[in-house]
Amino acid sequence: MNEWLLAASLILIGGIVPCGIVCFLAPAIEALVALELAGSLTAVALILLAEGIHRQPFADLAIVLAALSFVGAIAFARFLEREL
Amino acid sequence: MRAAVVGVLLFAGVGVELFCCIGLVAMQGAYDRLHYTAPAGFGAALVAGAILVHEGFSMVADKALLLAGMLLFLSPLIVSVTARAARIRELGGLRPEREELEEP
Repeated sequence: MNEWLLAASLILIGGIVPCGIVCFLAPAIEALVALELAGSLTAVALILLAEGIHRQPFADLAIVLAALSFVGAIAFARFLEREL
Repeated sequence: MRAAVVGVLLFAGVGVELFCCIGLVAMQGAYDRLHYTAPAGFGAALVAGAILVHEGFSMVADKALLLAGMLLFLSPLIVSVTARAARIRELGGLRPEREELEEP
């Protein structure tokens, strides 16, 4: 395991798990905040995985995930204003 | 020397990301938790800097820089949109309440 994979696993275990807990336990609008942070963390973890195992497609995945996470967050926010 | 710089940048970036997570868990309420969403972009920028120092301008480093730029630009927008949604959900609109307009 190199330092990139160690950093990715630190983010995945120490970052995504607390976000998931907040996502499941908190009210809807706070769960959305946790989901937004989890999207950013996952994108960074994917870039670190791409560097750690020398697989470029993971870097593409990270960029696509960041863009789609932004669009998804805006859609959720619009729904949470009134409908849900 | 270069390895030391890479290590410092990398684990500073991871530290910023984990700090955001700790803040998210420790705070109560949507508005307080929102403060810890946007700094994740700075962690991504530090990680991109680490990759750039490690191997120069390669494809992965360029994509890491693009990702950091996206997160730095988009995270504050998401915070603003989410705060707006939280306020509308809480009060039914964006107009200030009478108590908010009064002088303290």
